[in-house]
Amino acid sequence: MTSTTTRKFHKDRGLVTRMYFTMFMLGFLYAIFALFLMSTGMELIFIGGIVGVMVVVQYYMSDRLILMSTGAKVVTAEQQPALHRMVKLLADRYEMPMPKVAVIDTPIPNAFATGRNPKNALVAVTTGIQQRLNERELQAVIGHELAHVANRDMRVLAIANFLVTITSFLMTMLFWNMLFGGMGGRRNNSGGGMMVVYLVTIVVYFIGQLLVLALTRYREYGADHTGAEISGDPGALADALEKISGTVNNIPDKDLRKLQTANAFLIIPAALKGEGSMHLFSTHPPLEERVKRLRELEKRMRYGLR
Amino acid sequence: MGLFSGTKTPKDDWSAIATVIKAEAKLQALGEITPSRRAGVIYRNDENNSFQGDIKNELDVVLYVGKGATKTAFEIQDDDRGMRWIVLEDGNFGDLASSVYTVGNAIGMNDGVDNLLAAVFELYFTGTVEDNTYRSGLRTYWIYRYDRKAFYPFVPTGDSEGERDRQTEARLGQDLRKHGLVVEKSLTEWMGLWGIPF
Repeated sequence: MTSTTTRKFHKDRGLVTRMYFTMFMLGFLYAIFALFLMSTGMELIFIGGIVGVMVVVQYYMSDRLILMSTGAKVVTAEQQPALHRMVKLLADRYEMPMPKVAVIDTPIPNAFATGRNPKNALVAVTTGIQQRLNERELQAVIGHELAHVANRDMRVLAIANFLVTITSFLMTMLFWNMLFGGMGGRRNNSGGGMMVVYLVTIVVYFIGQLLVLALTRYREYGADHTGAEISGDPGALADALEKISGTVNNIPDKDLRKLQTANAFLIIPAALKGEGSMHLFSTHPPLEERVKRLRELEKRMRYGLR
Repeated sequence: MGLFSGTKTPKDDWSAIATVIKAEAKLQALGEITPSRRAGVIYRNDENNSFQGDIKNELDVVLYVGKGATKTAFEIQDDDRGMRWIVLEDGNFGDLASSVYTVGNAIGMNDGVDNLLAAVFELYFTGTVEDNTYRSGLRTYWIYRYDRKAFYPFVPTGDSEGERDRQTEARLGQDLRKHGLVVEKSLTEWMGLWGIPF
């Protein structure tokens, strides 16, 4: 529960500073926004309540939701002894309980971790990544995922997503409100006033998204760093990332015609789209940058520690 | 923040689509590519749009009237997913590419750019791919996504979703980039179009 375990691993001072600054900015942004909304007479509690319930559900059920949405199957030590041994070894090093282990049957190489705390953690790998990586690389990947659990990244992102989700919810509500005029017709806001609230909401939404993206990125670097310190081998994750990226199996099965358009008005919040997990790959931060930092860390560790 | 970092992508469709002419010429000279005469533009068909009711006449004007008109033959086809295809045929590859741009531009202006999905060129590939197998006269499509302003190769091996020759696509993608085509960097964006009507 305390952040002592987190601190122990984070030696990258600049990164920690940037991360906390971003979290502070995020909190600050939403505090101001809340004050602004209250001054216009919005029923904050109502919106906060709805979104709160969704996020709490997501937060407590994230492992199950993610198992459902990704088709990951929890495997026992008998089914996947080598994988279990590897996870156990790493979990011991992090001094965390053994997480659930799951496998996704797909040739696309990927891995993710989820869970609100180390006691409820789950780590999943695809069969594609198992086939492609050697033991050292796979260990680095799992180490990276467990670092997310140890650093409690899912919790940080759940809170951040909560704030952004409220805003997107509000944006949708205001949009329909302006189209059809006053929900329930109780409030007598002039159209112009409503427009200002709507525009401010949009601006807050975008700034919030940017901050969450930045936060995700810092958490990602943080997990790379933590994982590297746990394994003592930053090059292993760099090798794994390089090996997997740009491979033909990233070419999707999906038809272009299924691509969504105009999802600006979708009410399904990001929190329910399986973002309660930390994937090995996402577009942020860019892979090249992660590999570069890992290689630098590798050099520092080699010449600094020996 | 890195959010807007990345490589320079062309700002307009023509400067991106124009790169297909050069890449095609180079690869044809190398004997890797034989162009078919066909290409197409696919977009979401919006029945409420007046332009759509009159699409045939509009295309007649765009492709046939005026000095420098490419006079490319065209055909309108609706697929079973609510999309409309304008299939174009022209023996001159430069004219074909130019007509693809013109048609896309006309649809974009009248029907909304967001409804424009892709432009597709059909070409035949001969060569060795990554796993050292030889492909001769294989039908490939080069898909241009309007939202990404970039191309990628698509080699379907069947009509169901997911059936594609990824080895050849990867190999071709590298080649195309080397020869000046604007190729989509992110492989995960290389979405297929199964059941192309030409």
